[in-house]
Amino acid sequence: MQGFALYPFDPPGDIAALRADLRAWLAVNQPKDDVVARANCWASFDRDFSRALGAAGYVGMTLPARYGGGDRHPLERYVVIEELLAAGAPVGAHWIADRQTGPLILRYGSEEQRERYLPGIAKGELYACIGLSEPGAGSDLAAVRTTARETAEGWRINGQKIWTTGAHFSHIILALVRTEEGSERNAGLSQLLVDLDTPGITIRPIIDMAGHHDFNEVFFDDVLVPHGALVGERGQGWKQVTAELGLERSGPERYLSSHALFVALIDAAGPDPDPAVATLIGELASEMWTLRQLSMSTAAKLAAGEDPMVEASVVKELGNAFEQDMPRRVQAIIDCNWDDDTDLAKLLRVLLIASPSFSLRGGTREVIRGIIARGLGLR
Amino acid sequence: MSAARDMLCDTARVVFAEAAKAGISPVEEAGFGLLLVPEEQGGFGGDWGDVNAVLQIAGVVAPDLPVAELIVDAPLLPAAAVSLMAGAMGQALALSIDHVNMRQQFGRALGKFQAVQQSLAVMACEVRAVEAAAAALAARLDGVGLDPSAAGFEIAAAKLRANRAVGVVTSIAHQVHGAIGFTEEYDLHRVTVPLMRWRGAHGHDAHWARRLGDQVAGLGGRGLWEAMTARGA
Repeated sequence: MQGFALYPFDPPGDIAALRADLRAWLAVNQPKDDVVARANCWASFDRDFSRALGAAGYVGMTLPARYGGGDRHPLERYVVIEELLAAGAPVGAHWIADRQTGPLILRYGSEEQRERYLPGIAKGELYACIGLSEPGAGSDLAAVRTTARETAEGWRINGQKIWTTGAHFSHIILALVRTEEGSERNAGLSQLLVDLDTPGITIRPIIDMAGHHDFNEVFFDDVLVPHGALVGERGQGWKQVTAELGLERSGPERYLSSHALFVALIDAAGPDPDPAVATLIGELASEMWTLRQLSMSTAAKLAAGEDPMVEASVVKELGNAFEQDMPRRVQAIIDCNWDDDTDLAKLLRVLLIASPSFSLRGGTREVIRGIIARGLGLR
Repeated sequence: MSAARDMLCDTARVVFAEAAKAGISPVEEAGFGLLLVPEEQGGFGGDWGDVNAVLQIAGVVAPDLPVAELIVDAPLLPAAAVSLMAGAMGQALALSIDHVNMRQQFGRALGKFQAVQQSLAVMACEVRAVEAAAAALAARLDGVGLDPSAAGFEIAAAKLRANRAVGVVTSIAHQVHGAIGFTEEYDLHRVTVPLMRWRGAHGHDAHWARRLGDQVAGLGGRGLWEAMTARGA
């Protein structure tokens, strides 16, 4: 990991125009009423918005046109998603399908899977969830126990997934399952793409501490799916999942979850802020600017076909700390009651409560630091 | 990195090592004062990317010599300090990794202990952040013809980010080194003490935070994002 240089972020095309068009589109199409939905907005579900965004060509941008995609460069997509996040747009419904499931189906899926699922994903109408965690397999993902046995009719799945964000509104789940009997740890795992309306699947809500229904338990009780549900190579699930996590860890969502609060803080402070507030704004701006450079550099590396696992983890670690600390630091110096009706107070409250999850989702802080330590040559 | 910059860095390593014993004159004689002077004026014709690379080496090899002052004008010294600090932090990290991989306690290398691994991961993140800040600042300065007034946002953001990393980087580096890192003989203080000094030089945390905060307040909440994206990518 020695000798870090910024990888040039150099998307093709007219990026200024891409930003301007999207900003103009958002000015018309972004819901204005719900300020709270702008915080942590990649968890804000809005089916109508996702559909409209898809129709405007901002979902599935990197997918090939023959599957309904936009044939755009990954860094053009990066520009679009950082704009959406900075605006606090409610992108939660299609987020996972657009970010990782679609690209994974394109890379590892069969032609039949691509034709069946990618067009809906690109329209912002087909939503996906990630079937990784299980009751006994959280940070220790290799402890996955859900099984799929190959029979004459297809795969029979038995087991349980948990903490499955969006399972209740998703159409498909990409599940990591044990396909080889008697296999252990990261061997013998495969990925199956399962329609969530298949008989034998039960989805139960888990209400989070904010009172929201984001994640779920997903039970598989002798669920029969076709042979064609296998994604990629049998037994290569671990490798595919690891690549998938790289897409998940370094994006701008890792430092922009609290951005709506930063905007509200700056606006509440006005053009001539109190010195203590100006100092905090300066500190946050410095950290955000640096994170953006790191995230863009990592995205550029990913787009160039490299696998910057450690750098992606650095973005997640620093970004999570930034977006998690921000509400605490704002609360420490701003006069504002817990239940005030101002935008600033509402965003502060929502983010103080939501922020413990920031360093849990997508890999806990401890796991991420372990990956970085391995990159340093310590493990 | 370009071949020309590689050669420049090779020269810098040799010359700065000599200067660390002999004083600044070898650096002057080698012509580093001409690094930013255009070729048509008899200079090296370098850019801030070159300055960044050279000063990261100076931050490790010759932190006590006025190398930055020789190369850049006063308004750009805060930007130069970011590069010196990035270099010194990279060295503090490298020394720490070497030490924990070599030093054995309780029958194994210190680096095999999770507590030590997690500390070094935290430190590495800070070092990467400062290296990224130095590189992004270089890109901005080169994009605006080294005009410090056109890079006011980036100079403030980068120097502040570097300052704020100093406490984490120096404290973890010393912690994982144990007593040996606190000796005159061992090299760690040759980078950690300069880091402590540079944090307060060319603008401490509050100086740049206030300046940047006032600038951002003037932009407004949405204006910050518009300005940030207009200034780079």
